[in-house]
Amino acid sequence: MTQSRLLGVGAFLLGVFVLVPAFIHLTGRWDFYYTLTSVALLSVSAAGVWLTFYIGRINIGQGAYALLGGYVSAILMTQGGVNFWLTLPLAGLFCAAVSVLIGVPILRLRGVYFAMVTLVLTEVARLTALALPITNGAKGITSIPLPGELSIFGLTLIPDFATLENPKLAFYLMAAALMVLTYLVLWRIVNSRLGHLCRSLQQNEELSASIGVNTAMLRVLAYAISSFFGGLAGAIFVAISQSIYPSSFVVSDSVNFMLYCFLGGLGYVFGPMLGTLLLYFGWDLLSVAREYQLLIYSGTMIALMLILPNGVLSLFDRKGGSK
Amino acid sequence: MTAPILQIKGVTKRYGGLTANSDITFDVAPREILSVIGPNGAGKSTLFKQIAGFVTPTTGEVLFKGNRISGMPPHKVARLGVVRTFQETTIFKSMTVRENVIVAHHLRSKASLLGFFFGSGQARSDEEDFARSADDIIDFLGLQAIRNEMASNLPQGHLRALGMAIGLATHPDVILLDEPFAGMNHDETMRMVGLVRRLRDERGLTVLLVEHDMPAVMKISDRIVCINFGEKIAEGTPAEIQANPRVIEAYLGSEDAAIGM
Amino acid sequence: MEQILANGLYLGAQYALIALGLTLIFSLMNVLNFAHGQMYVFGGFVTYTVVAQFGLPFIVGLLASAVTLAVMGALIERFLFRPVIRKSKRDESTMLLAAGIAFFLDAVILLLFGEKQRGVPKIVNGVFNWDMRLIMPYDRILIAALAVALIVSFILFMQYSRTGRAMRALAQDRMAAQLMGVDVDRYSMIGFAIGAMLAGLVGGLLVTITGVNLGMGGPTSVKAFLMIMIGGAGVISGAIAGGFILGMMESVGLTVLAAYGDITYLVIFITLMIFLAIRPQGLMGKPWG
Repeated sequence: MTQSRLLGVGAFLLGVFVLVPAFIHLTGRWDFYYTLTSVALLSVSAAGVWLTFYIGRINIGQGAYALLGGYVSAILMTQGGVNFWLTLPLAGLFCAAVSVLIGVPILRLRGVYFAMVTLVLTEVARLTALALPITNGAKGITSIPLPGELSIFGLTLIPDFATLENPKLAFYLMAAALMVLTYLVLWRIVNSRLGHLCRSLQQNEELSASIGVNTAMLRVLAYAISSFFGGLAGAIFVAISQSIYPSSFVVSDSVNFMLYCFLGGLGYVFGPMLGTLLLYFGWDLLSVAREYQLLIYSGTMIALMLILPNGVLSLFDRKGGSK
Repeated sequence: MTAPILQIKGVTKRYGGLTANSDITFDVAPREILSVIGPNGAGKSTLFKQIAGFVTPTTGEVLFKGNRISGMPPHKVARLGVVRTFQETTIFKSMTVRENVIVAHHLRSKASLLGFFFGSGQARSDEEDFARSADDIIDFLGLQAIRNEMASNLPQGHLRALGMAIGLATHPDVILLDEPFAGMNHDETMRMVGLVRRLRDERGLTVLLVEHDMPAVMKISDRIVCINFGEKIAEGTPAEIQANPRVIEAYLGSEDAAIGM
Repeated sequence: MEQILANGLYLGAQYALIALGLTLIFSLMNVLNFAHGQMYVFGGFVTYTVVAQFGLPFIVGLLASAVTLAVMGALIERFLFRPVIRKSKRDESTMLLAAGIAFFLDAVILLLFGEKQRGVPKIVNGVFNWDMRLIMPYDRILIAALAVALIVSFILFMQYSRTGRAMRALAQDRMAAQLMGVDVDRYSMIGFAIGAMLAGLVGGLLVTITGVNLGMGGPTSVKAFLMIMIGGAGVISGAIAGGFILGMMESVGLTVLAAYGDITYLVIFITLMIFLAIRPQGLMGKPWG
């Protein structure tokens, strides 16, 4: 790792964990915590979508896994009395397992075909949540407890959120930490041999197979990791809002995840993070425009697309990219 | 003849009512250069796909070193040592020449994917091996000057060589070359002919090629198999093939250029 | 039974018309038009405005919808898709653009027409009743007939007109069409305009029966995607088949599955995902489109 890169990472961590909270305390814009927590979680989900892009698949089904992860966590907590911190990995793993079952047949599809099936998948998840008894239909699951204490051998690592005087800050720090971890994993994947293989898959599946890459397995693996991220993010969202409904994640959320990736740039690991920040935060700031909010937002998005069709991060491309 | 390295036994492929090829049988000896010729649409490309695992024969089988490989997925066939290069120059476009060749070493990696993720010692030594071997292949094919070029910027001739480099990186026993001379001028063709010979002479490969360029085929091949309308109509040395009336008829009866020698 | 079939045909005719527009755009430009549902809603609102606000005859409203959407489609192709397709490294970028346009149209609809559900008075009164076995209001029959007439004219147009033939050539092989001297830019624009126009026409037809509202755009797009996948994306006959199949499935499902609650769509979607996993190219598509 070069010195400048180390410095960049340090500055980023400082910004996320120190400067942002300090800024919020100074200005008293406590609402930013919620916004930024959402950005962090959405970018975790978007990271998964980005990974499927990286193997050459357009994934518009991430909302389904966020919803699934949310329900898994909610049901385990309310009906099984399981600690939130345990439900978190379980939600991710459950999503990964389901995605393997779904992925094996549908990952054979390419291009818009895969995209359309995943889009339908989001709708299937919503309708399933409406129909099943365990998800409590349209009424959803409410009054979900806040995350409890996480301790190992009596040593409290994370205190019970209900006892905290500022759970907003706690949620923010937790989401931010998860985001940092997620992108660390993603960065590692992309810059390891696994990433090279994913790229080979994205560029030419047949050739990839003929040099001995088990393309079917690699696709499923990438999709499972992607869905794992989706499930994690969904579970934390549920913990924050303390409720989940079939419409908690819908088709437009899935489309948004895809847009975050596009806007940040599909060729850059940190593209989805930047894309999420710009679009979600931008949307939030635009609320002052009232009825013109959506118009300005979508207009800007289209304009960006025209000016920078390869993502915002392509601005820095001349300097050699930030891969 | 020594024990064949590759055996094509009664291979047939039907798509619905269409027969792409039918009952094709021949053997390939180790370190042999064998060309499959035939007019357009004769079923040559299908045959390659059947050997490399992209298409499963409807009936018949392909044996490699006595083991059945037909019906296996392409990555397993490649793992065993039979690799195919493509008719369209297929490469990974957004990688440099060197990256292309390094990635293609995938088969030889001993470290697990998790090992790569965490950067284990095995993974690192793998990467070093691959880089060394990739440079070796690049030198062998004379691509030193363009090793850091983006593949998408290469001219046709270099692309074809890169495609071959990718194939070589898997360290195969048998390499299938799909029309290696297509679109080349005389000088380029002669250079490629030399290269294909060196694959066999210096690297010990068995070479199977599908080709239209008759002068090149006649020059390079130990033996030739001629296919027409999906069926094998002749097999033999270049001299035998040139004298075979059925071959001549097949070529005269088609739109292809006459069998120029 | 007759009732279910009739309902299915009625739904199918509209669906097929929506799917035709989507598949036309897809086949010409390889663009998945996310904004198709919004275009449909927009068309409905134009007809509503002309008929309910200005008090003009229905046919004028329908024409206004067609013209408005055709112009909109042409402009979108010319000034948005064309430059992005030209500049972008990856085909998928058009998807972002299409999604952006979908949001934008939603915003425009919200500002121009508001959030309320809108409809126009019945254009014909009365109900067709065959022995209580088949009951269908006349206006539905009329709308279905109009939809079928539009489908037929679209097919004839694609088969026999010069423009239609050029577009078919373009859809089959962009490169070859270009070599044959087909003006690719021009026909992409015309194709996009026609696709958008079809969406607008369906909106105009349906505003008389079900009305339109802002929220219908997205779900309509999803359904339209389904239809073209069933039939095979980019294939005209496939879009028509897909439309009628989905209409029929809905009609049957709503009757048969009613006892089990609101699961018709769940069953339809899951069936289709299984179908596509087995046959990715749909009923009539070529493998990988």
